Amino acid sequence: MKKKSLRMIALIITCMLLGAAGSAWSGAKVYINGFDAAYPPFTFIDKSGKPAGFDIDAVNWIAKQMKFNVKHQPTDWAAIVPSLKAGKIDFIASGMSITPERQAQVNFTEPYWQVIQLLVVKKDANLTVKQCLEPGRKIGLLRGSAESKWLTDHMLKKGYKFELRFYDTTPLAIEDVANGRIDAAAVSNTALKEARDKGLPVKSIGRYGQPDVNYGYAVRKEDTGFLKTLNEGLRKLKASPYWQELIKKWDMK
Amino acid sequence: MDEFLFLRQEVAPALMSGLWMSIRLILPSAVCGLALGVLVGVLRIYGNHFLKALVGTYVLFFRGFPLLVQLYLWYFGLPHVGIYLSPYMAAVIGFSLCSAAYHSEYVRGAILSIKKGQMMAAKSLGFSHTGAIFYIILPQAIRRALPGSGNELIYLIKYSSLAYMVTCIELTGEGKILASAYFKYMEIFMIVGAIYLLMVSLATWGLNRLEDFVAVPGFERIHD
Repeated sequence: MKKKSLRMIALIITCMLLGAAGSAWSGAKVYINGFDAAYPPFTFIDKSGKPAGFDIDAVNWIAKQMKFNVKHQPTDWAAIVPSLKAGKIDFIASGMSITPERQAQVNFTEPYWQVIQLLVVKKDANLTVKQCLEPGRKIGLLRGSAESKWLTDHMLKKGYKFELRFYDTTPLAIEDVANGRIDAAAVSNTALKEARDKGLPVKSIGRYGQPDVNYGYAVRKEDTGFLKTLNEGLRKLKASPYWQELIKKWDMK
Repeated sequence: MDEFLFLRQEVAPALMSGLWMSIRLILPSAVCGLALGVLVGVLRIYGNHFLKALVGTYVLFFRGFPLLVQLYLWYFGLPHVGIYLSPYMAAVIGFSLCSAAYHSEYVRGAILSIKKGQMMAAKSLGFSHTGAIFYIILPQAIRRALPGSGNELIYLIKYSSLAYMVTCIELTGEGKILASAYFKYMEIFMIVGAIYLLMVSLATWGLNRLEDFVAVPGFERIHD
């Protein structure tokens, strides 16, 4: 009996090893998309635990058109660029702002979406953007995000004295605005819409000065061939009716 | 940017403020955690049925839930029942309660190692039950718990690095922000790691001194 179960275990392990090796050998190269697991509607993990969102659908469509395989890998946002450079992931399609700092590290596809960066406050709050930037005010945002870099470089280092609170994900920052623990959150218009759709009592009080940002997919500098593939795929996608379908599906406007 | 200037102007001030926050987290959590841990350890041995069950459940939960989950519950969970903790308070409470659960085990083990005769002798000399616990058993037990509890304090130094997850930006949090802003992960995390190593070395040294200091002559520890 004991021998039999041992043999069974050995068999199972062998099958697992063969299975793992088999999937590595078979077919076209698998490109891994690193994404933020909490950035709806662009990328998130849905209720069944699968990656979902506008960017996920878009990339799946492009992969099918351009004939490559794709796997979506949730990745810590604050470490996503080094993960890309270290080869743990092959590209980032996850509502990523194209910034000069990031462009020095990685290449971006052409922009596919434009977002407006807003200050978000509690629904019943009587605050203006100017008041939110006063000393002692607390503004929450995503750690490692483009808005955190912009607010630090263009406001805090220029003498503004508000306090930044860094959150692990964007929804947590908006949640704490609704909780009343911070005065405002610096987020994109799409993130705000998502939060309001979920019923959080928050509203926008307008731009805080950061220029509107473009989203693009990021790839390693040396992967010029793959960058071309993605750009071509994006162009095809935008020209196809599926693009409008996606915008409608994820309620982007 | 010149590497040295970058270190001096950007990295050093941010890491210093992070280090200061780490110390402000570690010291109160260590004191509260140890005090509560001793109390819980005593109750687990000498408490009545109700208290034993209560502290037993406490230890089960606080050792069973991952610390990060506990912190999330303190910070993001409690607002749902109307309690709003600041990031700092949430972190200190989380660390203290988790640390105390572990301390209580070291203390419990140490109390169990004290011979029954000690309690009987104390009582025959006229000590009350509580008096015997506090004046006879605990002073011996705490000395024996010290190496284990010291280990827990060293853990605490390192798990203070989770506070940034509830927006209390300490050393690791500052490191993460710097690293993702300047894309210098290797350099910055090596420095951050070295600072933790330094803190742990200092704590180890201090704890060894403390063990020597509280050692009772005649009850010498076995030196090798």
